[in-house]
Amino acid sequence: MRGTWPAVAFFAAAALGPIVVRDAFLLDGLILILLWGASAAAWNVAGGYAGQLSLGHAAFFGLGAYSAALLGTRWGVSPWIGLLVGAGLATAFGFILGFLSNRLRGPYFGLATIAFSQVLLIVASRWRGFTSGSEGIPVPFRPGLWTLGMADKRVWVYLVLLLAALLYLVQLYLERSRRGYQLAAVREDEDAALSLGVPARRLKVAAIAVSAALTAVCGTLWAQYVGFVDPFYVFSVDLSVRFCLAAILGGIGTPLGPFLGAALITILETSLRARFGGIGAGLVGIYLIIYGVVLIVTMRFAPQGLLSWFGEHLRRRPLLGTAP
Amino acid sequence: MSLLSVAGITKRFGGITANRDVSFDVASGELVGIIGPNGSGKSTLFEIISGFYRPDAGEVRLDGGSLTGLSPDRVCRLGVARTFQKLRPFAGLTVVDNVMVGALTRTHDVRHARARARDLLDRVGLAEKADAHARTLSTGQRKRLELARALATEPRVLLLDEVTGGVDQRSIPGLVQLVRDLHRGGLTLLVIEHNMRVITAVAQRIVALYLGEKIADGTPDAVTRDRRVVDAYLGQAYTQ
Repeated sequence: MRGTWPAVAFFAAAALGPIVVRDAFLLDGLILILLWGASAAAWNVAGGYAGQLSLGHAAFFGLGAYSAALLGTRWGVSPWIGLLVGAGLATAFGFILGFLSNRLRGPYFGLATIAFSQVLLIVASRWRGFTSGSEGIPVPFRPGLWTLGMADKRVWVYLVLLLAALLYLVQLYLERSRRGYQLAAVREDEDAALSLGVPARRLKVAAIAVSAALTAVCGTLWAQYVGFVDPFYVFSVDLSVRFCLAAILGGIGTPLGPFLGAALITILETSLRARFGGIGAGLVGIYLIIYGVVLIVTMRFAPQGLLSWFGEHLRRRPLLGTAP
Repeated sequence: MSLLSVAGITKRFGGITANRDVSFDVASGELVGIIGPNGSGKSTLFEIISGFYRPDAGEVRLDGGSLTGLSPDRVCRLGVARTFQKLRPFAGLTVVDNVMVGALTRTHDVRHARARARDLLDRVGLAEKADAHARTLSTGQRKRLELARALATEPRVLLLDEVTGGVDQRSIPGLVQLVRDLHRGGLTLLVIEHNMRVITAVAQRIVALYLGEKIADGTPDAVTRDRRVVDAYLGQAYTQ
């Protein structure tokens, strides 16, 4: 197992961010990196550690975003309560999806998760009386920590850093604990794991439920930070793919990987859009092409993810097939 | 007193009856062999005992308690471990991690499980491979790994599906010796084996299956001379 020093360096750098940098644009980037990293890490619990490739995690993200936004705007409830409600709902749906995972394997499970997020999208965009439908919900700004109304971006950095650190620790637990070893066995070969006394089904369901709850927490904080919930964004397949892409790019089934992947995607996307987004009609969208090319090149040269690639090139040791 | 008891097991797949009313007992500390031609229902029987298949009729009992209908992980925790005919190592994990998964069924302490896994690897002769990835092992080494992994769950009965199948000639004596040592240590074993020289040398009793039915049950000597066993499986040449 890899050491934790790269993670310590990563989180220390993020913590130093607000002290060194005052620029709002850069701080915004840092907050998004940590939020997308935490979301990808939450996905990684099910997709990486439990081996259940979900393409519908936006469903849980959206549940978190909507729960807090609706409770806040309709009944004036604190987003912290909304966060817990969203996590609770996501856990319940996570259990359902978990039971599905015991029936459907591989690509069929992936398809079922997409369908699941699409159903929630339809509910959110059509149930006008309750969700405001496709118009979405603006989250009103009410100053104070209890209402998550912080004008100072530095406070947000530390808040999402806390979330990111929690997600990192959850993954570290899955790397080193008894349950983690058992889950790895289930991912590798479910029947063999069963034959060794591992309660494979229960573990898978639990992992998916935990992953769902944590994704919902990310969704709540994201919506409160951005200040707007759009059903076509929070329940989109694009978003589900983003979680999974960040984890795979960084290193699936590793605790730091999702954060590195999210950093790459967010920096690339934001900087390319800022650089190419505004210029003449002929080049509109060129940033998407560059974005795509960089992702393809990354996967070509670091198929095991960035973390593994760094490990290989900085320490010059083979990662697979021989003793560490 | 029998430790494992198979009583009237019948299993059908569509029109095919894989096991028909199979019954036998395994006493504590006994090593029983199961022989029979391909398709005679040996592996199906193992799948039933270990909880992967549910029988259409009959019951499997361990020390008097019924195992029928329990999930495979429950069966293992109650004390019946197995290996697979088609080996199933956790290819992406290291050898020691593979064995730890078994050990963690009996202990919650990861460090303790690792120590135990290393002990067991030592016992099956894989100590120097402990930190290699399981996918790098040869077939013979994988058999040893499966054995160590199953032993780590501290079974009362161990089901071995083909100890020597697919292994090169030179590795066979070592594996056979390993099974002998386990038996001598007091473990109860039920062993499927095609190699007649091996099974007659290690087993105290042999159960012969043919077309899903038990056709003989007795000492290796008696079973290998049994008329029906010779006709169905061994062939005339074997007796000469």
